[in-house]
Amino acid sequence: MIGGRSTWVMTALLIAPVLVALALGGYEQRIMTLAGIYAIAVLGYQLIFGRLGALSLAQGCFLGIGAYVTGLAGVHLDWSFPASFLASLVVPAVIAGIVAIPVLRLESHYFALATLGISQIALLVGVNWTEVTGGANGLYGVPEIRIAGASLYSPEALLLMVWSALAVAVLAHGYLIKGRRAHRLTLLREAPEAAAASGIDIGASRLTLFVASAAFGGAAGALQAHSIGVVSPAVLEFQVMVTILAMTVIGGRGHPAAAILGAILLVHLPEWFRFLESHYLIAYGAALLLAIVLMPNGFVGRLEEWLGGADAGSPPAPDPDDTIGRKPARTGATLGLRDLRKSYGGVVAVDGVSLSVEPGEIVGLIGPNGSGKSTLINLVSGLQRPETGAVHLGNLDLSGRPPHERARAGLARTFQAPATVPGLAPLRTVLAACPATLDEPTAVTLARRCLERAGITDMAAGPSEGPSRARALDLARALASEPVILLLDEPAAGLTPNERDDLARCLKSLAKDGIGLLVVDHSMDFLLPLADRVVCLASGAVVAEGAPEEIARDPAAIAAYFGGPSP
Amino acid sequence: MAEAIPQLLVNGIALGAAYALIALGFVLVINAVGAVNFAQGDLVMASGFAAVILAETLSAGFGDAVPALGLLVLPLTMLVMAGLGLLFSALAYAPLRGRPPVSIFISTIAVGLILHHAANAGFGPEPRIGPALLQADTLRFGSVVLSVQQIAVIGAAGLLIAGTGALLSRTQLGRRLRAVAQDPEIAEAMGINGARCVALTFMLAVALAGAAGALLSNQFFVAPGDGGLFMLKAYIAVTLGGWGRLDGAALAALLIGVFEVMMAAYVSYVAAEALLYGGLLLVLFFRPSGLLGETIQRRT
Repeated sequence: MIGGRSTWVMTALLIAPVLVALALGGYEQRIMTLAGIYAIAVLGYQLIFGRLGALSLAQGCFLGIGAYVTGLAGVHLDWSFPASFLASLVVPAVIAGIVAIPVLRLESHYFALATLGISQIALLVGVNWTEVTGGANGLYGVPEIRIAGASLYSPEALLLMVWSALAVAVLAHGYLIKGRRAHRLTLLREAPEAAAASGIDIGASRLTLFVASAAFGGAAGALQAHSIGVVSPAVLEFQVMVTILAMTVIGGRGHPAAAILGAILLVHLPEWFRFLESHYLIAYGAALLLAIVLMPNGFVGRLEEWLGGADAGSPPAPDPDDTIGRKPARTGATLGLRDLRKSYGGVVAVDGVSLSVEPGEIVGLIGPNGSGKSTLINLVSGLQRPETGAVHLGNLDLSGRPPHERARAGLARTFQAPATVPGLAPLRTVLAACPATLDEPTAVTLARRCLERAGITDMAAGPSEGPSRARALDLARALASEPVILLLDEPAAGLTPNERDDLARCLKSLAKDGIGLLVVDHSMDFLLPLADRVVCLASGAVVAEGAPEEIARDPAAIAAYFGGPSP
Repeated sequence: MAEAIPQLLVNGIALGAAYALIALGFVLVINAVGAVNFAQGDLVMASGFAAVILAETLSAGFGDAVPALGLLVLPLTMLVMAGLGLLFSALAYAPLRGRPPVSIFISTIAVGLILHHAANAGFGPEPRIGPALLQADTLRFGSVVLSVQQIAVIGAAGLLIAGTGALLSRTQLGRRLRAVAQDPEIAEAMGINGARCVALTFMLAVALAGAAGALLSNQFFVAPGDGGLFMLKAYIAVTLGGWGRLDGAALAALLIGVFEVMMAAYVSYVAAEALLYGGLLLVLFFRPSGLLGETIQRRT
């Protein structure tokens, strides 16, 4: 999971607090048990809030549901601990899975509201379904944890149990963000369109993490119910959510160490602000405000560099096999577009475009601003849905398929405005786009090769800077998905003449390897010498098509492009 | 039962009108800074307490010499809350300018938490009653009995909503505020002081929350834990009314108020709440970009 130094830090962080609590005893043991419980919930919340960047307000509710399941199973049903604990993981996870379908595709402000709405409904049920939940009084007499006949009633045993569960949770958290998964999640969070165009299934990734975060919350709730012996609607109230949020923001959003430190810090806060008595949540609010203003990446955000980063340590060694990435993994499929049409309101952006790109062919797509070039690329890559028409890759009908499936089938693209991912080194950005089926060393070799081909040599360096570097990185990212057909949206924009020459050479070598290229550009002097065939678009329709020299003389193309009189 | 309908309708409209003031403030901030103000409900709660204190202070100072105490307290509360709005924007927004909206979301959660528990520490959890707008009792039309306070609330809220609309559409200040909301960079390039406009927007938004708090504090009392539900109603109103739309939010808030009162009277309050949240989830399920779509285009 986490390399080198980080492993030692995590081990120390899981053992030291337990030793301190055992040494101090009494109150400190109860507080540290609570910290362990919250740390589990925070680990789950890091997945959804930190990794996906989605402000869920349902993590407190998942904790509460976990607590109620344990309470009900223990008080009413007399279930054994393993059974009730498992149910406390499964029930919130299933609820998360069900609500995920409508909720996960929402924009952030609706996502926050929807998760808050779900929490409110859970609270209403908890308070009002008196026969089952005990209403406002809650459930009393939740039995202590019994494992293999031994009852964990002493505070020491409970502390050890909770922190062992936390250790397991840290391992599970590490597994979920292992290796290239972490890079994929970063790309997905920071540049979702680029992620989808690189073959990353955004919906599946989000669903996995949301369901997992709910299970973490449920586990925390189950342990809390056992530790205090009571489940009341207070566990479903918003302040549980705020506590988890504060721990995550103050501790840090990515690294598991942050979850543990944030939880330990905040459970001790009431102790340090004793003069506030039961109003310690004022201190939580103040700490949260200070943290978001002064430490946007949390406490541990500052230490993450030293810890080797939240996204694993150094990448594994490349595969010594020098042939990887030298030649395309697959070629030989023709891209066929038939009668693609797309309109925005009354404006027809793409008006029945049919064209094809053969393996190894460079097709230039020209046309004035607003002629539908970028929309066409979006229709082909699946980011937008056409009203009519079909997209075929070889024998494969890709019409109606989501972008990640098209990318996996061999259809890659670059973007007119490439998204830069701050904090993700170029090599990691490209690794995120390598097919998930490749093993780590092969992927590293492939990623390095793609970066080299795109003209980036200092690949481990920090985030990309400048337009040419961002474009080169975007090209490398597109190549990493091992495309058969590559769509390039204005790849030469903002480049110097020298950089354009380099780019043209690079694109020609890709075509020579058998990749078909569809290149959108404004500049005739870049495109005409490069392309085998040029298609001219005006008002969404193909007005001219042919060899570059023919297009240069074609009256329709000239009229569309240079604004001359229509022929 | 049928005689109760006019009174219930008036109650519902009064509640909805107060919700509309809260929602207007909520949308103003969304449009100005692109972020949700999670503290809006707690600001309503705080202004309820401000109205209680102002009323106590005024009647302690002048006794019964003040004829329409509530009418005096309303603008004073708004003034106090406008001041608090300035402080609020300086604390929860200004240091986070240029950061992702989620940071502002979180900072306003933090301020809401502070307000909630500071009120709890200062006033205790028991509900307090604010001043009535007018000291009259009820109006009787045949068998229909209407409360004067409720009609006064509707009148005051209606005037404030109309005033906000006129301020934004008819005055130079309003045009500036809207320009900054639409495109801060262009507005700044045209010589508008963006930071000042945002601060003014916060003052206006929080003053509107203040009006709602003062108006609601008489019939519904005020308690430290009230904020969350007010915020939720405003948030839902903005979602149903079209993200970023002032008229849509006000209308949706009005409908939510009427729905809540009617449902509570004929079924139960719990059913009203559950149906509201359930309905919200259904709307988001079928219309992922809100009931009426969004007016704010995502800037890329």
